[in-house]
Amino acid sequence: MTEVSIEKLTKDYGQGPAVNSISIRIAEGEFISLLGPSGCGKTTTLKMIAGFEDATEGAIRFDGRDVVHVPVEKRDIGMVFQNYALFPHMTVEKNLAFGLEMRKTPKDEIRTRIARVLDMVQLTGYSERYPRQLSGGQQQRVALARALVIEPKILLLDEPLANLDAKLREEMRVFIRDLQRRVGITTVYVTHDQAEAMTMSDRVVVMFGGRIAQIGTPSDIYERPANLEVAEFVGQVNIVRGKVGNRIVSTAFGDIPVSGDHAAGTELMLALRPEAVELLPVSSGADGVPAKVLSSYYSGSLVDYRLELAGGATVSVQTFPRTRFADGDQVLVHAPADRFWPLGSAA
Amino acid sequence: MNVPAKKRFGPLLLIAPAALLIGVFLVLPYLNIVLMSFRMPGQGTPYGPGFTFGNYGKFFSDFFYISQVINTLWIGFLTTFICLVLGYPVAWQLARGASAFRAVGYALVLSPLLVGIVIRSYGWTILLGNNGIINRTLTGWGIIDGPLPLMYNALGIIIALVHVFLPFMILPIMSAIQGIDPSLEAAARSLGASKVTSFRRITLPLSLPGIQAGCILVFVLSLSAYVTPSLIGGLRVKTMAVTVVDALIDTFQWPFGSALALMLSVTGAIIVVIFGRLTVMKWKA
Repeated sequence: MTEVSIEKLTKDYGQGPAVNSISIRIAEGEFISLLGPSGCGKTTTLKMIAGFEDATEGAIRFDGRDVVHVPVEKRDIGMVFQNYALFPHMTVEKNLAFGLEMRKTPKDEIRTRIARVLDMVQLTGYSERYPRQLSGGQQQRVALARALVIEPKILLLDEPLANLDAKLREEMRVFIRDLQRRVGITTVYVTHDQAEAMTMSDRVVVMFGGRIAQIGTPSDIYERPANLEVAEFVGQVNIVRGKVGNRIVSTAFGDIPVSGDHAAGTELMLALRPEAVELLPVSSGADGVPAKVLSSYYSGSLVDYRLELAGGATVSVQTFPRTRFADGDQVLVHAPADRFWPLGSAA
Repeated sequence: MNVPAKKRFGPLLLIAPAALLIGVFLVLPYLNIVLMSFRMPGQGTPYGPGFTFGNYGKFFSDFFYISQVINTLWIGFLTTFICLVLGYPVAWQLARGASAFRAVGYALVLSPLLVGIVIRSYGWTILLGNNGIINRTLTGWGIIDGPLPLMYNALGIIIALVHVFLPFMILPIMSAIQGIDPSLEAAARSLGASKVTSFRRITLPLSLPGIQAGCILVFVLSLSAYVTPSLIGGLRVKTMAVTVVDALIDTFQWPFGSALALMLSVTGAIIVVIFGRLTVMKWKA
């Protein structure tokens, strides 16, 4: 198992840095996702770790050894590409044998290792097939097997699920995560899909414009976003503005206690996730802010409401569809004070 | 079968113009050549009355003609091989090289086709002749004592044929390489293959369809080339195509000329089929 340490890594193609001095320490066996919109530098970072792109500055260490000047083929990485990149002129077996042949593994060991990895990805019996004779999900698993069979130091995945349909994508998430845990390999996973990053990773690195916006566990990122950009990129969020008082912020939902130094009198933004809010009928007489239902969208497990508060501000709320409200209904909005998260001063 | 007439005849209707063209201008003339090859030689006429196997008998009994077919095939093989060796790197550069090079490279590759075949062949005689530019320059510099035999031999024919047929090798290989996903090479590298190994194990085998197409094109074109071999080979080296025309026009033996032409076509076709069998790609759908 390998610990990967990225230090002040920069890539500049000549039009300003695509990756701007980022540092990440990845523990042995850790599953890390690089998450961000396209052009945020996540793929460039992965390519630098793999060795397909030269770093303009900075270091990449595998177990303390700087690999920046080591060519791709000597870095001992396993990589899964977005389009799988299976060799179309080779059978599954030949695809899997390729990396082992490069390592001059003895023939009988190649055979046993291929059999083992095929079993691992549940494709025993497919070794004589050509890639075109496999479904997308099967090709995906062969690509994974090909990267793992060489028992590399680290596993790199570049949006591997982007070409699969929704149902298969969810299955593969679980599959890849389970496999990675069993093998215990240090893994870097690039994706623009926040749900993918959240469900699979030990930690998520959120990137914008070549910089790291936040590194944290999925719950850190979701519940305690570092800033407005992160909060908005990872799931839906309501931004509630309020005036800072003495360790409180006065908002449409009442006074919310906040910790930390926020200058009194400034305007502060608070994040409030739509599912953190409870909707109650006015008749309940419960503690809540009155609001009117503008619209609602039923999606089976959840209902999405757009509400207008008495002050004119709108909020999105997600609830279980046990009690349904119709458009135009008056409701009470109950948002627990501890579900607000300060994002910083409003610009 | 309850397929409506419209649906049944639709596809036929679409094929009809091409089928008509091929039928009238290719199949019928070919049948005519086959028929002609069995006719009796005439006295003062292109052919005489009645039919015979004699024309083929003459071909197989005279080693001169068989050796000429072998010569022609050799020129075809060598031209094809040299085109492949010279053309592949160019095709690779055009497919994968810097975009600045690509536009210029493409124009350069096509340039031999922009000059008429007669002019191009005469151009080569100016270069290759005993008193030609190459020999005069080399003699002038004192590198050689007498002129090198560059013309009126197979070498001259091959040089000129390679020049014309290079684009037919380069273009199919180029499009085959362009069709190869670059991430395949990246995958090979990630698995531990050097750049050279990844080319040898991935890019080269995947460009085989282009190599196959290019080789067949160049080989067939070389066998049937007439103007270049007749101008550069002169009277001393004759390819089969030249001999066929000699028989048809100079000695006025239409039946024998037809037999010769068919023997060349048949040997060429057999070689192309064998080549296709040898280079069959199991991985392709």
